[in-house]
Order: sequence, then C-alpha cells, then structure tokens
Amino acid sequence: MARSIAWLGALARFLFQTLEAARWLPRAGRRVALRVLLKQVWFTALQALPIIIVLSSILSFLVISQAVRELGRLGATELLGRLMVVAIVRELGPLLTALVVAGRSGTAIAAELATNKVMGEVNALEGMGIDPLHYHVLPRFGATILSVLGLIIVFDLTAIFSGLVAAGANGMTGARYFEIVLASLTFHDVWLTVAKALVFGIIVGVIPSFHGLAVHGSPTEIPVAASRAAVGSILAIFLCSGLFVLLLA
Amino acid sequence: MTEPLRFEGITLPGHQSPMNLVVPEHRAVLVLGPEASGVDALPGYALALDRPATGRALVFGEDIARLPRRSALAFRRRVGYLPAGDGLLHNLSLQDNVALPLRYGSDLSEREITGRVRIMLTLLRIADVAERRPADATEEQRRRAALARALAFDPALVILADPFDGLTHRAAAELLELARGGETGAGSRRTVFMTGQSVPQLLEPRIEVRYRLAKGELQRMS
Repeated sequence: MARSIAWLGALARFLFQTLEAARWLPRAGRRVALRVLLKQVWFTALQALPIIIVLSSILSFLVISQAVRELGRLGATELLGRLMVVAIVRELGPLLTALVVAGRSGTAIAAELATNKVMGEVNALEGMGIDPLHYHVLPRFGATILSVLGLIIVFDLTAIFSGLVAAGANGMTGARYFEIVLASLTFHDVWLTVAKALVFGIIVGVIPSFHGLAVHGSPTEIPVAASRAAVGSILAIFLCSGLFVLLLA
Repeated sequence: MTEPLRFEGITLPGHQSPMNLVVPEHRAVLVLGPEASGVDALPGYALALDRPATGRALVFGEDIARLPRRSALAFRRRVGYLPAGDGLLHNLSLQDNVALPLRYGSDLSEREITGRVRIMLTLLRIADVAERRPADATEEQRRRAALARALAFDPALVILADPFDGLTHRAAAELLELARGGETGAGSRRTVFMTGQSVPQLLEPRIEVRYRLAKGELQRMS
C-alpha cells in the first residue's frame, strides 16, 4: 500500500514537472519538440489506423447485426441508436482505442526512453543543456493526446458506418439507421468522448514516459519498464473509464 | 581572470581524501586513472550531472549545481561536452545529432544551422556519412559526430570523457587538435579537459598538463 502511494506520488510529481517544463520551453526548442511530436503522431496515430479500423468494423458489425435481429423481434429497433451511441461510440470506442494505443505505443515509448537512458542519451542531452522533459516527454505527451483523440474519432465513425452495413444486411434501410443513431447522439455524449480522449491520452503519454525514464542504467530494466508501462496504463485506463461512468454518465 | 574549470575539495566515489584541480585557460588538461579511481565521475561533477559527496566544481566561476534548473541547462550550453561512448541519439542521423543543440538552443534559422552543421561535418571529415544513423556508422565516425556536436556552439571550454577509447592514435591526435581549435595565436585555443584510462603516446606532447589519479589523489605527471 505504502509502495503504491509512493508510486502515485512520484507519478504526480513527474506530471507536474512535465507541465512546469512546458512553461519555459525555449522558442527554438519548440521546433525540435514539434519534430519529435510529429514523428510520434506518425507512429502512434497513422500507423495504428488499420488496426483501429479493423477492430471497430468487426465489433460494430457483430453488435449491430445481433441487435437489429433481437430488437426487431421485440419491436424495439429504435433502441439500436442508444446502443450504438452509449455502448460503442461513448464507452467501447474510447476504451478500446486507448487500450490499443497503450499496448502498441505505450510500451514502445517506455522501451525507447529506457533504452535512451541506458545508452547514455538522456545524460548526453542534459550535458548539452537540453531538458529531457522538453525533448522526450512533452512531445510524446502532446502526441498521445492528439493521437488518442484522432483515433477515437476514426473508431467511432468507422463503427457507425460498419453498423450501417450490418443494419442493411439485416433488412434495415440506411435512412432509418441514421435517423435512429443521430436522434440518440447528444452533446453530452460528444463532450464525454472528447474528455475521455484527453484523459486517456494523458495516461498513455505520462505513465510510459515515467517508467521509461525511471530506469537506472541496466539493460535488464528495459523490458521491466515496458511491462510496467503497459500494466500501469491499462489499469489506469480501466479505472478512469469506471470513474467516468460513475461520475458523469 | 576566472579559470574555465576548477574542482574544489571534490571527493571521488570510493575515496575519502578530497582533491583540488584547476584547469587553466587555453590549456589541454588530462586526468588519467583506472576505472576504480573514480576518474569517470569528474566530467559529470563539472557539469552538475552528478553530485559529489563533498566539494564543488566551478565552471567559469559558477557552481552549476547551485543554479536553478533552467539556468543550469542554459549554462551547460556554454560548454562542449563529449560523454563517454558518444551519447548520440540513435533515432537521428549524424547530421541531425550535430544540429540538435543548435536547433534547441539558438535562434539561428534552419538555413544557418544547415550551413554550420555542414562546416562542422566537413571539418570532422564525416560529411559523406552525414545521413547515416549512429548504428550504421563506425565507432570513429560516431566519435567524430559527437565531437562535432560538442563544438557546435564553438565553446571556450570542452569536456571530453574517455575521448580516445577505441580510436587509432592518428584519429585521436586529429580529434584532439580539432577539439582545441585550429588557431595557434596567443590564447586563442580552447580549454580542453579530458579524462580517461589511458592516452596514446603520440598525444602526450600535445597535452600541456597531465595528472594521474591514484587512491583518490592527483599526481602531476612529468
């Protein structure tokens, strides 16, 4: 218990230091940070598009196919819209996207930063007068927020269109499908999805960076850091997802 | 005039007796010692990357360890630093490694930075491999790139940790000359502080002040 509290304290301090460092990032340093951010967005968002699209299409197709059949039997097809918006767009979309990014990019970030630390690159940056928080952490922090937000939008749009195919395959017209889904979508759902994207993006940016930079210099610490980053991020994403349901849904 | 680098009462890891050392301006100073002597810790102490148990290191009269973090980082940019190994970032090409401190710490335009980097790479004779990643370059090319990066701001003081390890004598002599600067007019050469376990014999006449570290104590070599 005491260890967990100490871990949380260290993580909070790391997040605070990162935000504090953002205030005095040199003007010239912003160019450097932007380059790192764009590279990270390329890896985290663009290269993850295929898996997000496949995952979202299959999930939505399966759920909507079953739902159209079962709800149609009960004469409650209008509930399909709420099912799509609440279950897929608002809950599963952000959750699954964040889990994919945590598993794919979170571990990569932790392993990369841990390797940098072990290879003496972090020490060299400090020696050159470059803050590792500016060079390594802030750009990844920004990139994961942007990437998770972008990927959630892609996930949700793909799910809606995949749902259209599933509904069509089960005898529902496209006009009727969109009428039901759009009628169920509220502003509350949209901002809740965006809020989740921000929180999950912060989690996937900060926890892996924290574990990656926490290694001391032994190569054997690298897989440990990657593993801790994945476990910590996934746990935090589930906890926050639960908190969102409890407090805001 | 303040010395570029001064160690006052520094205790090295594993030793108890404090040591003092002054690195005079425009001189090349070398401290040799076996791995267990703690000689590798001196560059880190000088730049306040690590803290000694006792004593302090002054760079141009300033104790970097006592500066606020932002000022300490800015101050370090006045010093050229070649860490042991090379400290190059492996996801950047050699030329991007050399450009990194300029991009981060100067207001030069990208065109000016490219020009300066090209000069440095030509001077260090690695222009033809500039686009290679460190993993695709030889040890000597990596060391040359790391030195180019350390000299990017044309610093008055250069700190080199184990700079000649694994290099041929000829390459080591060339790198030392480049680190010191090409001009030989009165007082125009850079101050160079080096640490290591051994030095090629060819270099000895080129290093004005040499010390050997034994049992935590410095002995000046003739």
